[in-house]
Amino acid sequence: MNQKIVEISGKRLSIANLEKDLYPSFGFTKAQILEYYRRIGKFILPHLRDRALTLKRYPDGVDQDSFFEKRCPSHRPAWVKTAAVRLEDGGQMTFCLANDLETLMWVENLAALELHVPLARAGSPETPDSMVFDLDPGDPANILDCARVALILRDLLIQLQLTSYVKTSGKKGLHLYVPLNRQETTFGDTKKFSKAVAVVLQKNYPDLVTARMAKEYRKGKVFINWSQNDSGKTMICVYSLRAREKPMVSFPLAWRELESLAGRDDPEKLQVLYSEALSRVEKQGDLFQEVLEKKQQLPHL
Amino acid sequence: MAGGTIWKGYIHFGDMNVPVKLHTAVKESRIQFHLLHQRDGVKLQQRMICAYEKVPVPMAEQAKGFPLEDRKYILVDPEELEQTEPEKSRMIEVHEFVKTEEVDPIFLDRAYYLEPDTPAKGYIALVGALQEMGVEGICTWTMRKRAYLGALQSRGKILRLITLRYADEVISVKSLELQEFSLSEKELKVGSDLINQLTVPFEPQKFENEHQQKLQNLLDKKARGEKIALLRPKRLKPTAPDKLLEALEASLKKVA
Amino acid sequence: MAVQGIWSGTISFSLVAIPVQLVRAVEPGRVSFRTLHRKDYSPLVRTMFCPEEEVIVPADEIIRGYEIGPEHYLTITDEELASLSPERSRTIEIVEFIDMDEIDPIYFDHPYYLVPTKGGEKSYRLLVEVMRRTNKAGLAKFVLREREYLVAVKSTEGALVLITLHYSEEILAHEDISPPEAKIEADETSRIKESIKKMLADFNPGQYADERRKKIMALLEAKAKEKGLVEAPEVEEEEGEGPADLIAALEESMRKVKKKQ
Repeated sequence: MNQKIVEISGKRLSIANLEKDLYPSFGFTKAQILEYYRRIGKFILPHLRDRALTLKRYPDGVDQDSFFEKRCPSHRPAWVKTAAVRLEDGGQMTFCLANDLETLMWVENLAALELHVPLARAGSPETPDSMVFDLDPGDPANILDCARVALILRDLLIQLQLTSYVKTSGKKGLHLYVPLNRQETTFGDTKKFSKAVAVVLQKNYPDLVTARMAKEYRKGKVFINWSQNDSGKTMICVYSLRAREKPMVSFPLAWRELESLAGRDDPEKLQVLYSEALSRVEKQGDLFQEVLEKKQQLPHL
Repeated sequence: MAGGTIWKGYIHFGDMNVPVKLHTAVKESRIQFHLLHQRDGVKLQQRMICAYEKVPVPMAEQAKGFPLEDRKYILVDPEELEQTEPEKSRMIEVHEFVKTEEVDPIFLDRAYYLEPDTPAKGYIALVGALQEMGVEGICTWTMRKRAYLGALQSRGKILRLITLRYADEVISVKSLELQEFSLSEKELKVGSDLINQLTVPFEPQKFENEHQQKLQNLLDKKARGEKIALLRPKRLKPTAPDKLLEALEASLKKVA
Repeated sequence: MAVQGIWSGTISFSLVAIPVQLVRAVEPGRVSFRTLHRKDYSPLVRTMFCPEEEVIVPADEIIRGYEIGPEHYLTITDEELASLSPERSRTIEIVEFIDMDEIDPIYFDHPYYLVPTKGGEKSYRLLVEVMRRTNKAGLAKFVLREREYLVAVKSTEGALVLITLHYSEEILAHEDISPPEAKIEADETSRIKESIKKMLADFNPGQYADERRKKIMALLEAKAKEKGLVEAPEVEEEEGEGPADLIAALEESMRKVKKKQ
């Protein structure tokens, strides 16, 4: 039957289909997915805490159809915490909050391979904790080009007294985060600022960077998607798995590491597999911790 | 006068079948406003605008889609959607009876009066039985292609049907994340005494929609070309937690 | 607090004032579809359109009008509306309490939750607890946007619920649909009561799933498998000048960065 009951912090959870292979070409079962998230739990939970969770579910594996689920399933256990958030159209939706390990396990039992979260917390949905630069390479540009752009961005932001942190998206690109963690910050601020930065970068590196979303401008360039700085948008949570052929992880990289990898020629070296993710966090801890804690202010606004 | 008959059906449970006619029970009265274009005073119309091309789109060019990710949808034909509609039926099926006080008003939605159709005997007996036992029937029925959940109540001489919200449509108190706070027995006692002192019988007819009258006065003033004075509302100072007992005792003194 | 507010102000009874926020208590469960443009699957947005100038009208160019004659309107601003009952638009003043059992459920209209804001948590809990103990509800008048509501405030599971009520004049009379006078045999009534007794249960609204929603979800899953998904085009955000000194500072910093490379 492939079903078992587990108990976490006194809460009982029924887990099913443990032997189902959700990454068929690589070989990675639901049991292994649950195990990954259990072991990375300590590191991912602070980044999920109090954020309206959007689940991307792959009940039949990464080769089959997936679906985004924003509304927290009504068949959830009573101990799953939720938050009601007002939507753009005036309606309201109840989201799940993965505030503890048992909820994370319950969510993974639903084959929610990818966990997407907003930049703001559910209690203050208009206050982003950080500003993000979502770097998306347009074919034939790749993650190495994103790395070059990330380094330029980092240096530019340092000039403005802003420290930034970078992670892989787990797919083709990189995400650069500027922690702010101030009540006064609004999405209006972060969107304005990131857009200005993107436009200036495009102007100075026209063959490498574009700030325009339309497909015709992105060929061979790195698109800085500044419009992700919005209360209605979500980003893949750091340490989340990605639904690709291999169970890659959206993983933080130290700047030194990015500098050295950017100089080499192998884009694959920037990708972090789940097993590598687990051993790295044991050794170096959470490289993205500062994103949750560091207080910074956007200048010139 | 109750509104006109909007639907006919029959209440069913056990071997009871009571034919009824549905009437609306509430008619809201409010002053209607239209939306106007400020610069030319023209009455505005609602149109469906394409978010991409930014032009109005006529009905014939519209389709229905269920939103998934940011820009992906599952396209659905209106005919297929119709197939999910509940089967037509005239039956108001009662599934169970519950004590009236158990039905939390947060679930109550729209009220309808039920008029007895012929024969009326079963109706009259049911009115009496429900009142004598202090219960309401939880029932389901289909009306105008929609399935409803409702409470069958008896009041005075007639039966009423009040639609109920589904449990997952009501936001749980848990999600509000309210804090626990300990209160002293004294505070609770004085508070309860105060409430009891301020208790009166429920007489809804004494409340009038004064706002409507004020609004009408305002509109009359404007029509006459008179100047309107704008008043700023004052905010009350919140009672500090350590001054709560004091405020309660002072209040009780005032009303006792 | 994890919910966004519709209104914020104070709820008071006698000399006690509690700062609160009004939030939704109901979330419509019906499966909501978006209307799309058949041509490119772009979602359609309901907007106000001026038929005279044939343009889309943004919110700041819209004003409320009251019709006093054919195509003749009196305009009214939000400030003018708020100033009709200034106190009631900021404070829900409970002037009396009533026994919950006395309220005819036909009066209930729409529910909201009240949640305490900073500093009000203790007083809030007191009101919740004493209303629960005494089984009472508070009656008040309250102005939200352009309407004045008669409301009942009661406690449910540890929270304050505000339910708008219909005015008496809005409850239609029903004498004209009353059943005719008739004598009912005692055994008929006891027969019915027996049937009812067999069907007594505890009120459990959770057990009635929304059948149609389930069918629609099944339909959607099937359609997604069969036909896949359609994608709407990306809508680019409006181009606009950034703040001048930010751009200047960025350009300056950019120069420095390039020099270092």
